[in-house]
Amino acid sequence: MKKIVFFFFVPLLLAGCSGNDKTIEVYDVLDDAEKRVEVREILDSNEDIYSGTAIFVNNDLLVAVQAKPWLDYKKGKIEKELTNQFEEQFSQFDVLVSADYKLYWEANKLLNEEDSKKVEDQVKKLKELEKEET
Amino acid sequence: MQQEQYKNLEQQVTPPTPYLKNALKAFFVGGIICTIGHAITYFYIIFFDFTENTVGNPTVSTMIFLSMLLTGFGLYTKLGQFAGAGSAVPVTGFGNAVISAAIEHRTEGIVLGVGGNIFKLAGSVILFGVASAFFISLIKLILVTIGVVQW
Repeated sequence: MKKIVFFFFVPLLLAGCSGNDKTIEVYDVLDDAEKRVEVREILDSNEDIYSGTAIFVNNDLLVAVQAKPWLDYKKGKIEKELTNQFEEQFSQFDVLVSADYKLYWEANKLLNEEDSKKVEDQVKKLKELEKEET
Repeated sequence: MQQEQYKNLEQQVTPPTPYLKNALKAFFVGGIICTIGHAITYFYIIFFDFTENTVGNPTVSTMIFLSMLLTGFGLYTKLGQFAGAGSAVPVTGFGNAVISAAIEHRTEGIVLGVGGNIFKLAGSVILFGVASAFFISLIKLILVTIGVVQW
């Protein structure tokens, strides 16, 4: 029995150690290569996150990131730092940076969406959802 | 038999308490309960419009509801016997405390028995929660009014 438990649990525990690659995705209707590179540079330079998704639609820029598991307590600080960086780089956009899982999940779903109107509506909805506290 | 002698005899006869074993059981069962809670959190985040800020309330309600059901079916008692504090400390222990008091006193009638005793154990928890929330928000209100912090 102990051996069976060991057999199943050790790979499960070790699975958490794998995959140190940072995944960064950018959605942009205009497909501006320069913007993609800039977003990647900012997200790549941040050591506290392991994944990030940026969505450009009209005047909105939504950046959803995920903090590394042991750095969850620093989420507020990470958001603030990235917001400052993105606002500096993309001053013409209305920037929202969030480390919330809901926004990350929904942003990743939007990556494959082709209808830009739908993306715009969803980004607006997510921005309102982020403000909700009750 | 002298008191001292009795004490010695009692200590020889009583089996030693397996502290480590109990702690491990509590650790694992408590951990499993929290993992289930986390799964429910993700369920609400993925399928409903809840963010990490707002998902706490529905998760806690669901966990309490589940533990109330388990208590009603007599399963939570077995878990409590096995895991001890591991099943009592998470919020599910609160649901268990409410329902087990109600079941215990149901023979005394609905109003005096169930109604009068349902919050016998959990009432103090609710009272302390409400009172401390009131005072903390009062402190925050004062700090915001002075201008030390923001909402």
